[in-house]
Amino acid sequence: MLLTSANPSETLVQTATLLFPSLAVAFAFRAGLFNIGAEGQLVIGGLFAGIVGAQLSLGPASIPLILLAGLVGGGVWGAIAGIIRSRWEGNEIIATLMLTFLADLLANYLLSSPLRIADAVGSETPLIARSAWLPTMFPHSRLTLALPIGLALAFFLRFLFTRTVIGYELRAVGDAPEAARRAGIDPKRIAFPALAMSGAIAGLGGATIVDGILHRFNTELSPGYGFIAIAVALVGSLEPVQIIAASFLFGALQNGALELQMQAHIPKEIVTCLEGLLIVVLAARRRFSTSAAASA
Amino acid sequence: MSSASLVGTLLSLTFIKAAPLIYAALGGTLCERAGILNIALEGTLTVSAFAAALGALATGNVLFGAATGIAAAVLFGMFLGLATTRFNVDHIVAGIGLNILAQGATAAALVLIFGQPGTSPEVPSSLGQHGEVALIIIALLLSLLLDRALMRTPWGLRVRACGENPLAVRSAGLDPRAIRLGATLLGSAIVGLGGVYLSLGELNVYSDGMTAGRGFIALAAIILGRWTPLGACGAALLFGAFSALQFILQRAGIPSELMQAIPYLVTLAAISGIGGKARPPAADGVPLEAP
Repeated sequence: MLLTSANPSETLVQTATLLFPSLAVAFAFRAGLFNIGAEGQLVIGGLFAGIVGAQLSLGPASIPLILLAGLVGGGVWGAIAGIIRSRWEGNEIIATLMLTFLADLLANYLLSSPLRIADAVGSETPLIARSAWLPTMFPHSRLTLALPIGLALAFFLRFLFTRTVIGYELRAVGDAPEAARRAGIDPKRIAFPALAMSGAIAGLGGATIVDGILHRFNTELSPGYGFIAIAVALVGSLEPVQIIAASFLFGALQNGALELQMQAHIPKEIVTCLEGLLIVVLAARRRFSTSAAASA
Repeated sequence: MSSASLVGTLLSLTFIKAAPLIYAALGGTLCERAGILNIALEGTLTVSAFAAALGALATGNVLFGAATGIAAAVLFGMFLGLATTRFNVDHIVAGIGLNILAQGATAAALVLIFGQPGTSPEVPSSLGQHGEVALIIIALLLSLLLDRALMRTPWGLRVRACGENPLAVRSAGLDPRAIRLGATLLGSAIVGLGGVYLSLGELNVYSDGMTAGRGFIALAAIILGRWTPLGACGAALLFGAFSALQFILQRAGIPSELMQAIPYLVTLAAISGIGGKARPPAADGVPLEAP
């Protein structure tokens, strides 16, 4: 029933939304870093995109700038955790988690005081001009270019990991920090760019939600995509192209949850339960650990 | 308002706000000293607050409700304990999964049991003000008790050894997995008291999102308290004081978001080594290989 839903393209909308933070989590993981704050990076990316989008009136030329703003916002938020990890050897798990709550507070603060613009209502930035919206792929669909952008990003990341020096260094640090150190790669130095990149990917995802779906930043931007993304990244074995399939699976679950609620009056949170259980069970199956990375 | 009564109000508000944080931070400290990195504190609070309200509503007996809340917390802790000690699930991943599970399960149960999303019906007989004060005093006494138990008893030594060097515990002929599981169950029961406090003490209703991130602020209190029960209690009181001050400083033009951000900012500073580096137990979150 998940695939015969009344609105199958809605599954693809969810797929695209989950793809970005999932790739972000996987990116950091491959470098031996556990970014559990993709949620916060996504929010800051969306916030930056919303602020920039509301100011610009360049027509379609605004679109890349809005996406870039998201990339930068998420990147900055990831980079803060990166500095804490690289410079002071602070635990990135705690850092990214705390930064997630700080992201929400920053968004609330900026929307309630200095940024409040005449036509902004409560917890939202003003609407982005229609000509600057991320184009949809089909008429009457919410599916936007976010999907092809995410797919391209996944293949690019696969290329990066398997065919480039920086990708090799990231993986070396993640798989065998001691061996990497002896080969002259400094695991501490890698943490900064790795977390900044990871944050940028999540931030780009936030920008695609803002410019593609909401057309403004709203503090209700994400119902926890950044946390579900950890499950998606695990199901996708941290491999970018497999993560596309995993995002589709979870996208179908999320869309199915809404259908269940609407048609069978089964609370959609049942699916949230299922996702939580899946995370624990899958982690038991995969038997991987963050502690090796944390002690690196 | 006179300044004396203002100070009194602030003090009592500090304890009211700190109590659930103290319980969650104490429970979390116990888990972490045993080597179980418990980031499911938020989920434990949610589940126990919900179960406490449910138990009290079902029987009309508030003490039964409290017991239900604690039992639910222990059951929830058992998931974490078994996943991490028996199935080698990464502690962080298990915690995230359980937090999502708790959020989904309570929201779905609200609809399925009470037929309404968002909040439970009001509990007719909550613990009342006396109960609330009693739970605050118990929280403070428990901090002292747990500190002594952890630092001065053979049991405490074993728990701490599991958090520092579980292999040494095994060499001594003890089972570190059993000790870790036991600490997780007891720790979760303590966190459960915090959940009971929320739905039967401070309020007399369960509503979605009522834990409001307290489980994560408790994580911050654990770090700031340097993984000791008294330290965690002190940090929780400090955070409670900030949240009490929020009401006054907001009127003075200081944004409430800044006050709410303090626990998180302080934690970032603590893990970055500002004011002395915060070091967790050596084997905190480190899984045990099968013997």
